Amino acid sequence: MEQLRKIVIRIVALVLIVLVLNVIYKKTFWMKDLDNHADMLYELLTKQDTCDMLYFGESSDFHTDSLDTDKRSISRIAADHFPTLKVGAVTRPAMHAGMYCAVVKHLSKNAKVKTVIFTLNLRSFDATWINSSLESYLLKTKIMYQTYPAIVNRFLFSLNVFENKSEKEREQDMLDQWEKDELKFPYPFKYKNVREWDKGMADGGFILADGSWDQPKIDLACHYIKAYAFQIDTLNNPRLRDFDEIVEVCKEKDLNIVFNLLAENVQYADSLVGKDLIYLMHQTRDLLVKRYTSKGVLVVDNLEKVNGKDFVDQHWTTEHYNQIGRKAVGDNLANGLKKFYLKEYKNQ
Amino acid sequence: MLFNSLHFLIFLPIVIVLYYLLPQRFRWMLIFVASCYFYMALVPYYILILFFIILLDYFSAILIEKQQGYRKKVILVISLCSNIGLLVFFKYFNFVNENVTWLLDHLERENPIAYLDIILPIGLSFHTFQSMAYTIEVYRGNQKAEKHLGHFANYVLFFPQMVAGPIERYQRLGEQLKKHHVLLYGNFAKGFRLILFGFFAKMVIADNLAPFVNSVYANPAECGSLSIAKGIVFFSFQIYADFYGYSLIAMGAAKLMGIDLMENFKTPYLSKNIAEFWQRWHISLSTWFRDYLYIPLGGNKVKVARWVINIMIVFIISGLWHGPRWTFIIWGALHGLFYIIERGANKLMNLQTNKTNPVYDAIRIIKTFLIVSIAWVFFRAESFEKARLVFQSLLSNYDVSDKVKTDPKIWVLLLVFILTDILFFNKKLEEWMAAKPLALRWSIYSTFIFGVLALAGAENIPFIYFQF
Repeated sequence: MEQLRKIVIRIVALVLIVLVLNVIYKKTFWMKDLDNHADMLYELLTKQDTCDMLYFGESSDFHTDSLDTDKRSISRIAADHFPTLKVGAVTRPAMHAGMYCAVVKHLSKNAKVKTVIFTLNLRSFDATWINSSLESYLLKTKIMYQTYPAIVNRFLFSLNVFENKSEKEREQDMLDQWEKDELKFPYPFKYKNVREWDKGMADGGFILADGSWDQPKIDLACHYIKAYAFQIDTLNNPRLRDFDEIVEVCKEKDLNIVFNLLAENVQYADSLVGKDLIYLMHQTRDLLVKRYTSKGVLVVDNLEKVNGKDFVDQHWTTEHYNQIGRKAVGDNLANGLKKFYLKEYKNQ
Repeated sequence: MLFNSLHFLIFLPIVIVLYYLLPQRFRWMLIFVASCYFYMALVPYYILILFFIILLDYFSAILIEKQQGYRKKVILVISLCSNIGLLVFFKYFNFVNENVTWLLDHLERENPIAYLDIILPIGLSFHTFQSMAYTIEVYRGNQKAEKHLGHFANYVLFFPQMVAGPIERYQRLGEQLKKHHVLLYGNFAKGFRLILFGFFAKMVIADNLAPFVNSVYANPAECGSLSIAKGIVFFSFQIYADFYGYSLIAMGAAKLMGIDLMENFKTPYLSKNIAEFWQRWHISLSTWFRDYLYIPLGGNKVKVARWVINIMIVFIISGLWHGPRWTFIIWGALHGLFYIIERGANKLMNLQTNKTNPVYDAIRIIKTFLIVSIAWVFFRAESFEKARLVFQSLLSNYDVSDKVKTDPKIWVLLLVFILTDILFFNKKLEEWMAAKPLALRWSIYSTFIFGVLALAGAENIPFIYFQF
């Protein structure tokens, strides 16, 4: 018993030491570690006391076209409508709601920030993005965003404590989901799921005048199917859970919440795949707008705000817009923000 | 399961608590189940290979003990051939096949044997060597055959050291596993110290050096001589900290159960010559080769020419033991060569190797470190061509600008590690630490804990010796 008592006392002493070391760590290496390994949180912490609004987004915010003369980001364009306010961007490529949620939890209740804007990207709900190979990197970064003591996060970061699936496993999960999720239309539709639809399109979806297959067009159409042909499972979709949690977290912090639903290339989706895909895209948009509006979120709907030619990537599905596209989305967002900052709004 | 994983940090305390809660007669079952679980967390079905080795050597030893003369020898040979055969199949089949293909290509013939798509079972070289040591000892009459299959299985499977040693002898580990160990604070304190310093060596030193070394070896042709030199020196410390760290964690985990594992390292980079280096580096492997290969070959009680051959055989096989690559063979051969040259030079010049002169000693330590570091290039490079590029860049690409940047933090950490190593010279870590006053002891713990928690490498890198 005496031996056990000695051991327990030492364990308690060790726990106390770790708590002290956590304070030392936060005052010494923490910010440098955040800058190196978890820069979204670094940005949040460095901007939360100087900005009125924070814009959380991915590459759509800052990606430009080589021909653009106006290189401003979407968040910058929106901010320019509010010259007396400061808008900070917390944006990194390939980010999604799971990351935003983890980061926004660290926003201090006493911060100057009163409004938080999150990009609501339709594709982030699909099987491709959810099972993307980038997910391993993001999940590793996310360790540093956890709400444990900073030194514990740093240790878990070194130990790679996250669901570290291989690329092969993620790909298999994606294929399984394409097969498992049945597509439901209010009218008869010949394909049961994405796998079948994709196969149907791949088997000569576009035929040229000489009878040969228009392979580039087929490939692009297949890609549109894989990116947008889904119906959100409201019980199990991880991204939906993330957005739900964002709402809860931000409400607790008494923040104005804005979801900036990004524009997708609906025109190309229509011309390449047709009304069935548009039906699904609209259905997803309607679900998200309805769900989050009812939760008190300002959802700015940009889905069809950008013309097909104003997308930078003409042969791929992205939310990268040229200056016209970014201006359309930025202006629309600023217009929505009038709800909170009508006096500060200036028309540009 | 990796030591440097959350999985292990949860697994170990559970096993330790259960170990002391269980009556002695059930503890072997706990160690058996825990060890199987530990191993199966990596590639589950490879446990069957281990079971095969266990059954093979368990029954071989019993039969060897019962037989006399020629039959006894035959059983030993069958047992050894089976162990080595298994090792050769999994580890060297593709290597041999590749070389056969290369040879046949030169003869403009085709190799009909296909390449095998197999993953090397983790730690196979370690547990086959440990198991073979047991049957040889039984054959020699130094060890009684173990009748309890569970106890013997635990000797081969004991989770702290099953995948990367130390390669233990049955007389030492097997007997300890059978003993009743009571809960002692002293064992916990020693175990904790070993594990803590092991994690520091691995996660803080080795894992922080690894990215720099990897960058240098990924593209040696584009690195300047300064970066290459740094990469070579850093790898010397990376591999030491990596393997030493593993061994310390293994010793610490065993110590928590009251079991002492042998020391695998004794400040090897303070060796004054190659012979001393091998008495201080991977001691369990070098003593294995000494007892079961070098001495049976005749050791040094033979003519000089034969002795030279014996040394080269031992070192080359030791190199090959590490992996199926020509670079490992070259690494082993280089050590053999340096060993012979040093011995020869000492004899010719009639040098008194035991005289102590600090300056002379320092020069010899640096010389030995440089030789060992140069040999490590072949160990680290994936191919002979890569090793050649490293040396070529080192010697011809004169560029003092540091092309591969190092975090300044690394220098401080490395200095701490080197100073600690000097401090531990010829002393046991836990004894050195235990002798210090409480305040100093806990300050040292706190520093190491801070290092492990806050300064560890950003990437979780598997132990280098896991691949062997």
